[in-house]
Amino acid sequence: MRQWLRLHRLAIGSTLRLFAGSPVASGLNLLVVGIAVALPLGLYTLVANLQTLAGQLPTEAQASVFLTPSANPADLARVEALLKQDDNVTHYRHIGKEEALKEMEQSSGMGELLAGLSSNPLPDAYTLTLREGSPALLDALGNKLKADPAVDVVQMDTEWARRLAALIVLGREAVTTVAALFGAGLLLITANLIRMQILTRRDEIEVSKLIGATDSFIRRPFLYFAILQGLLGALVGFGLVAAALYRLAPSVAQLAALYGEHYALSLPDGHAFGIALLAVTLLSLLGASLSVRRHLRALD
Amino acid sequence: MIQFNQVSKRYPGGFEALKNLSFQIDTGELVFLAGHSGAGKSTLLRLIAGIDRPSTGSVIVNGQNLAAIRRGAVPFVRRHIGLIFQDHKILFDRTVFDNVMLPLDIVGYDRREAARRARAALDKVGLLGREKLNPVSLSGGEQQRLCIARAVVHRPSILLADEPTGNLDRAYALDIMELFKSFHQVGVTIVISAHDETLMADYGRRILRLSKGQFTQ
Repeated sequence: MRQWLRLHRLAIGSTLRLFAGSPVASGLNLLVVGIAVALPLGLYTLVANLQTLAGQLPTEAQASVFLTPSANPADLARVEALLKQDDNVTHYRHIGKEEALKEMEQSSGMGELLAGLSSNPLPDAYTLTLREGSPALLDALGNKLKADPAVDVVQMDTEWARRLAALIVLGREAVTTVAALFGAGLLLITANLIRMQILTRRDEIEVSKLIGATDSFIRRPFLYFAILQGLLGALVGFGLVAAALYRLAPSVAQLAALYGEHYALSLPDGHAFGIALLAVTLLSLLGASLSVRRHLRALD
Repeated sequence: MIQFNQVSKRYPGGFEALKNLSFQIDTGELVFLAGHSGAGKSTLLRLIAGIDRPSTGSVIVNGQNLAAIRRGAVPFVRRHIGLIFQDHKILFDRTVFDNVMLPLDIVGYDRREAARRARAALDKVGLLGREKLNPVSLSGGEQQRLCIARAVVHRPSILLADEPTGNLDRAYALDIMELFKSFHQVGVTIVISAHDETLMADYGRRILRLSKGQFTQ
């Protein structure tokens, strides 16, 4: 056990010497890893912020229900009962055909034209205020109302919600794609960096093998190197995203002010942070172990 | 104990470096390996150290057949062998002392005990005062001594030296031979290869003469 710990301490020491031995190259490598992390993470941050923003907007949807002109008071009562029952309807208002006609005369300036009509052509209508819900729920409500013979048209004001939802789904897809691409990139970057490390330490590896070093002894410093590089590189990536948000902050505040809102971009939460850190480190480790396996065999 | 049974070694490309060799070296024996360049001396030593495997036959070192051993077990065989190379194979990115520490670091030896042993080994080869230097500043003869210190620091039971005096003048070469003699006196099995037989003659030990991969007498 103590021997095992000593071997690991030795490997870590060797790793730190690798880093310290070429500070400029190590710094540049970290920056490369950092940028590979920052791009998907930055996109994720934007999408997450957009989603939060969407949650904050006044999302009460409106809908209008028009009855057929021939609807009688019994029909009205039935539709009203339907509306009262539904949980998605928070509030409704009945607009009778006379009231609608009056409103139209006042607002449209078509008073004279309407006065010339022998009968009122407008139907009874309801305006609904709907609870915030998924487009599917709203569709279900619309279909239920349309099923009633007295209901002529149901106009849902949900298009914008659908579009925003679709946009966010698209954004998430983009995050996944970009993350997969840059993850693969990270794997290759690490594999290549480790390959170069192996080449520069070729003599040491060769001599160590000749005097009885096991493969794991030789592998260990490189794997620690990859872990350290993954962790530090991920931190650099977070730093880059934070810097970008800081740069964007004034513009976002200005934009929000135009809408009379207060909004500030926020960094990804601890959960996302942890997952990203873990993913980057594991990818880095995987790249390194593939590279080490491949190149150590070649040195046999 | 080292035992070769009908060993042949053919390298990729068809060159046959050793042809059907059988011999035995007893524990604690000092044996010279003579022959011109290309006679197969280095190949023979590489087979004993498990660096190469024989094409046919068996190579038995300390009771293990290196022709059939698992790849992962080879390092543990080598830990009982000290290797001395004509080109020293010293690492120039670390001090003289750290070069000697390497074999002990590899097995995870206790640092303080390892440092004590490394100093003892350096003392033995007369480099104790120069342990903090970079090996670049050592002369050829001193680098060869450093290589010897590294080969003996983990107290191997077998010492293999491939042309250890090849690049040295006679006075230095005699120094080195005296060192080997002193290791031999404490019971280490030693195989030394050289193309110059004049050094060997003085010691009255067994000489294995190789020519084109076969023994000659």
